[in-house]
Amino acid sequence: MSLISHCGGLQENSVHDLEKDEVSTGTTIVAATYDGGVIVGADSRTTTGSYIANRVTDKLTKVCDNIFCCRSGSAADTQAITDIVSYYMDLSSIQMGEPPLVRAAATIFRNLIYENRHQLTAGIIVAGWDKKFGGQVYAVNVSGTIVQQNISIGGSGSSYLYGYMDSQYKDGMTQEECENLVLNAISLAIKRDGSSGGVVRLGVLNHTGSIQRKLFLGDQLPKFYDNVLVKPQGDISGGDTTMA
Amino acid sequence: MALNYSSIDDDGAFSFRNLERNSKLEKMGLKMPSFRKTGTTIVGVTTRDCVILAADTRATSDTIVMEKNCEKIHYIGKYMHCCGAGTAADTMQVTRMVSANVSLQAFKFPDEMVPVVFAARSLRQYLFKYMGYVSAALILGGIDDNGSHLYSIYPHGSIDKLPYISMGSGSMAAISELESRWNENLTEEEGMKLACDAILAGVFNDLGSGSNVDLCIIKRDGTRMLRNYLTPNKKPATSKYIYPAGLTKVLAKSEIKFQITEETVMEVDA
Amino acid sequence: MDTVIDRGAPKARNFEPYASNGGSIVAISGKDFVIVASDTRLSEGYMIYTRKQSKLFQLSDKSVLGCTGCWCDTLSLTNIIQSQLKSYLHDHNTIMQPGSIAQLLSTLLYSRRFFPYYVYNVLAGLNENGEGCLYSYDPVGHCEKVSYTAGGSSGVLMQPFLDSWLGKRTVDSPVSEEEALNLVKDAFTAAGERDIYTGDEVVYNIIKKDGIKSGVVQLRKD
Repeated sequence: MSLISHCGGLQENSVHDLEKDEVSTGTTIVAATYDGGVIVGADSRTTTGSYIANRVTDKLTKVCDNIFCCRSGSAADTQAITDIVSYYMDLSSIQMGEPPLVRAAATIFRNLIYENRHQLTAGIIVAGWDKKFGGQVYAVNVSGTIVQQNISIGGSGSSYLYGYMDSQYKDGMTQEECENLVLNAISLAIKRDGSSGGVVRLGVLNHTGSIQRKLFLGDQLPKFYDNVLVKPQGDISGGDTTMA
Repeated sequence: MALNYSSIDDDGAFSFRNLERNSKLEKMGLKMPSFRKTGTTIVGVTTRDCVILAADTRATSDTIVMEKNCEKIHYIGKYMHCCGAGTAADTMQVTRMVSANVSLQAFKFPDEMVPVVFAARSLRQYLFKYMGYVSAALILGGIDDNGSHLYSIYPHGSIDKLPYISMGSGSMAAISELESRWNENLTEEEGMKLACDAILAGVFNDLGSGSNVDLCIIKRDGTRMLRNYLTPNKKPATSKYIYPAGLTKVLAKSEIKFQITEETVMEVDA
Repeated sequence: MDTVIDRGAPKARNFEPYASNGGSIVAISGKDFVIVASDTRLSEGYMIYTRKQSKLFQLSDKSVLGCTGCWCDTLSLTNIIQSQLKSYLHDHNTIMQPGSIAQLLSTLLYSRRFFPYYVYNVLAGLNENGEGCLYSYDPVGHCEKVSYTAGGSSGVLMQPFLDSWLGKRTVDSPVSEEEALNLVKDAFTAAGERDIYTGDEVVYNIIKKDGIKSGVVQLRKD
């Protein structure tokens, strides 16, 4: 299942350096399971170098009605892979006459990324709901490892979130609790990570079999400790310098 | 195999025949020629009922202007056009190819408009296949049965669907106009003005872009291609310089004579 | 384990002391005058820094230096020359003649033979006899007395044009001031059409016995 050959290209083993101006989704993506489904969330920034090529990107990409993926890494690579998986899932739903398993989609993602791991930069979180296993989250990393998790974070902004997630996530959360957690996490990462930004997009996947989307604009994001303008008590510097 | 210099043997795709030779020559110190880059400003704007594409007309090779009035808005289909930035040859070839595919699609389904996403996908799959080596950065705009669409397509094969886009070396200058003035209720005239101003920002502030502004308005009742819609950079008048003929000295002459040994006349049926 | 993908080692930044800020210079000398002109665009890469920066530096009432290339080197070099001229004036109570400035400039440039000032210089002036004189330089101090020259980013575009009109001039048919000025304007107009680093405006100085006359011509702004 070679990616390049799927697109009709030559199958070669040569490894190329990717051009430095490649479009990438320096990203924060989160997916979390709750009692009854999954919440997926992402920021909306796409960059080429320091230029924001798209500030309202939709990184929650549909694979099929009940399965979505969160993309991070090269925009071109992740879009192409998602296209292919989407094709296989559509085919599967027609052949089987029912929505495909989330696990099936995640495995195809894993295979494509693993087989082409030298040519691709793609970190993908696959999340969805199916009748057999309920809400599930699978993380596929750049080298093609697949891990099922209750909660998964990805992209450049995720490094700011590990501690927060470990402390805040609990099994059996309600949908509302889980939505708040994901929204808070992405908002926190947007604050700290230069490659993440824009709006926050959330999606809920559960027994309804289709996604319910929510959009939070930049000025609607939750606020956290942010009072750097307030002088600390007992300031030893003595002067009235404030940091802007 | 006998020597064959055509590229027909390569399945109609690129010939990599000289790749090994060239990389060896490069290691030996040969400098490869630079390609004609269209250091460019291109924009696309959607308005209430139409899609507007605009482009500058300068083509450069390094620091020299190679073409002062080139066309960067390419025809894709009756209701689809595409602005190209990057290597001139790549944008030309890619858009030509997709244009052909779009015509075939139109023949297959004569009763419906070719979906814009069809062209976008064709372009994306081709560019992705060549991993960014085909350096075409494109803005695809068009109208189909589902409404108006505007896509940006990057050389590596990523697609973004947006209401307004700028690309090329002048994209920074152009996007500043678009970000400050675009809204979803623009009329056609306002859209044209905005697209032109965005290109002009690139023309005057980016050295890779220059000369004139081309405009393309795609609407349900037809596509209008306004070539050289604005010409803000006319050449100032100069003196007349007439060089008398025969200035170049002839140093030597030689003549080759043919001997006609046989003459035949063939009649061809009309 | 071969699943680890090399995403590029940290890259060392090379020391890049030079910038190329574009700009061109044309100069033509005549029997009793000399014209030196430069464009006013200062740029780097695809960016215009300013549209109004003359590259002409008046050194005395009889000499003007045209200087393009790396702008910081231009500023540095012209500052040094100007201070040298001032101390010459204080030492000798006389203004340095163009011929001497020419030699000074050459020495200055060559003193940095292995870390050169990245500049193209054209020195224009009137000599002791009131005749126009012109010196053209390379960045490391090679100096040549010429009767016309073009330098900078469009030097290679304009020089052949000047050659074709002035190359065969003899003492009997010297170039007139009017003709020279037209040639300068037209050379810049043509260069502005094709060189992205030449544009906006041309400033020219005509040095004559009774003073320096200057003027401005408009070029393309794109």
